[in-house]
Amino acid sequence: MASERRTVTLGIVRKVAQLSRLSLPEEELSRWTEQLGRIVSYIDQIEAIPESANGDAAEDAVSPTPVRNDEPRPGYGREALGRNAPRQFQGFGVVPRVVGAGGGE
Amino acid sequence: MSGLARAVAADVAARRRSAVEIAAESLDRIERANPDLNAFLEVSRDAALEEAKEVDRRVAAGEPLPLAGVPLAVKDNMWVAGRRVSCASRILEGFVPPGDATAVGRLRQAGAVFVGKTNLDEFAMGSSTENSAFQPTRNPWDLSRIPGGSSGGSAAAVAARLVPGALGSDTGGSIRQPGACSGVVGFKPSYGRVSRWGLVAFGSSLDQIGPLTRDVSDAARIYAVMAGADPLDSTCAARPVGDPEGALERGIEGMRIGFLAEGEVEGLDSRVAENLEACRQAFERAGARVSVVSVPRATAAIAIYYVVASAEASSNLARYDGVRYGARRSDGSVASLYVDTRTRGFGAEVKRRILLGTFALSSGYYEAYYGRAMRARRVLANDFERAFGAADVIVCPSIPAPAFRLGEKVDDPLQMYLSDIFTVPASLAGLPAISIPSGRTPEGLPLGLQIMAPRFGEETLFAAARAFEREIDFPSDPPPAARPYAT
Repeated sequence: MASERRTVTLGIVRKVAQLSRLSLPEEELSRWTEQLGRIVSYIDQIEAIPESANGDAAEDAVSPTPVRNDEPRPGYGREALGRNAPRQFQGFGVVPRVVGAGGGE
Repeated sequence: MSGLARAVAADVAARRRSAVEIAAESLDRIERANPDLNAFLEVSRDAALEEAKEVDRRVAAGEPLPLAGVPLAVKDNMWVAGRRVSCASRILEGFVPPGDATAVGRLRQAGAVFVGKTNLDEFAMGSSTENSAFQPTRNPWDLSRIPGGSSGGSAAAVAARLVPGALGSDTGGSIRQPGACSGVVGFKPSYGRVSRWGLVAFGSSLDQIGPLTRDVSDAARIYAVMAGADPLDSTCAARPVGDPEGALERGIEGMRIGFLAEGEVEGLDSRVAENLEACRQAFERAGARVSVVSVPRATAAIAIYYVVASAEASSNLARYDGVRYGARRSDGSVASLYVDTRTRGFGAEVKRRILLGTFALSSGYYEAYYGRAMRARRVLANDFERAFGAADVIVCPSIPAPAFRLGEKVDDPLQMYLSDIFTVPASLAGLPAISIPSGRTPEGLPLGLQIMAPRFGEETLFAAARAFEREIDFPSDPPPAARPYAT
């Protein structure tokens, strides 16, 4: 998809907050918009950097992501991991009802 | 005690002093100093004394331990088995890790004793430690100033001589910048040298664990214990660590020291500029060949960094949703559980980075921001490769100005981000980099010099750092906050 640079607006901040699963109070939106706008305009200087000349532009700057063998190995176990769950019932994590409860978006 | 990790380890190994006695002394100092400094979020007296007892038992059994009985503090974004990890955030409330971070486990095996968890900017996002959800840490050299960040608690704890060493994590300068602000050594290894297992993720292509210490040799020892391949982190390089401690006294006769041309930015604090000249003379006295080298895109590093790191942060922090661990703030629908938990659990700076990262990755903006930043990162790394053709190490100030006052930059995030202008380039290129105390301002505030080496060139880096440290002769008197008990 084509990509473009645009001034950060209240609408963009509202949309990005929704994607981020964050709620920003309406009275704070202009402050967030102003701050993010200043940061994004500073970031816009990367436009002036020429693309890499030797064809490795897409290569990871540090190193290609290594991939380990897909082999099973022991972990901490279900009980140890479950100890940090905010809510559990009979060894399962409890979450609000997802299907048929109007919980979707 | 002299306070250096090597001296402590030698005393304990020779049974001149017990690990329990040393741990108790460190814990007593923490208890005395922490109300002023706010360096620690949690102090583990009973657990630390038990660990020290175990070290004494191992020493008595004849086990050689390179860090026998050395009290260490750990930034509170790393796992220490059985002790809570908060990342200085309310969202991780109550989280207790199931084991040690790999780096912590290796230090434990080497005889270190973990006295407590130190304060940080929430999720390591910040340059002043003011973004902690719990408390701001104060600089032991001047309690009205910041200690740097995000590993500010670790830097303050070492500077105030509460512990001989501490672990920090560095994504864009979070070990080196607080090291410089607080007058201690801060070392970030090459990306891939130290396992990230058990380090709570912020920017996964940038994060590295490293030590903060009072001198370069202690940093080399702690690093040597932690470094090396780990099956639990596939980005941890399977290449020999070498002999960092053995490299310390190599000297730098004939070594090519490149002063970063882009390090002399417009508006550089005059005290920093004067100090840089003293640093140049120190290298010359040590027999090095000094020149100026250019890394042209270093000036754009902050812009590149805030796209890449924020994008990775927005992805990494998506896991904090109130379902699997940490705080849960709602019992409504799943959607409100996510939103309420995150909105009430994260502080302002973390939200800012998540918003920025989500923006840079969102449809319509991805190519213009994230794609472009990734290519610019490659160009910057190429700039460094070329510069290392003309210099064995590259140096520049660690910080553009000495530690600022608490509250001075909290309302101006961009100005806060620019505090890391000299540390971010090495992070983006995956290079090892160290900040060494290089002098003090007339007001007594510490300054730091940063040395960068080619990736995996830690031995060269330590040789240069040790030679510089010897020449610059940073005064060894303790900071004002440590004077009541420091020796």
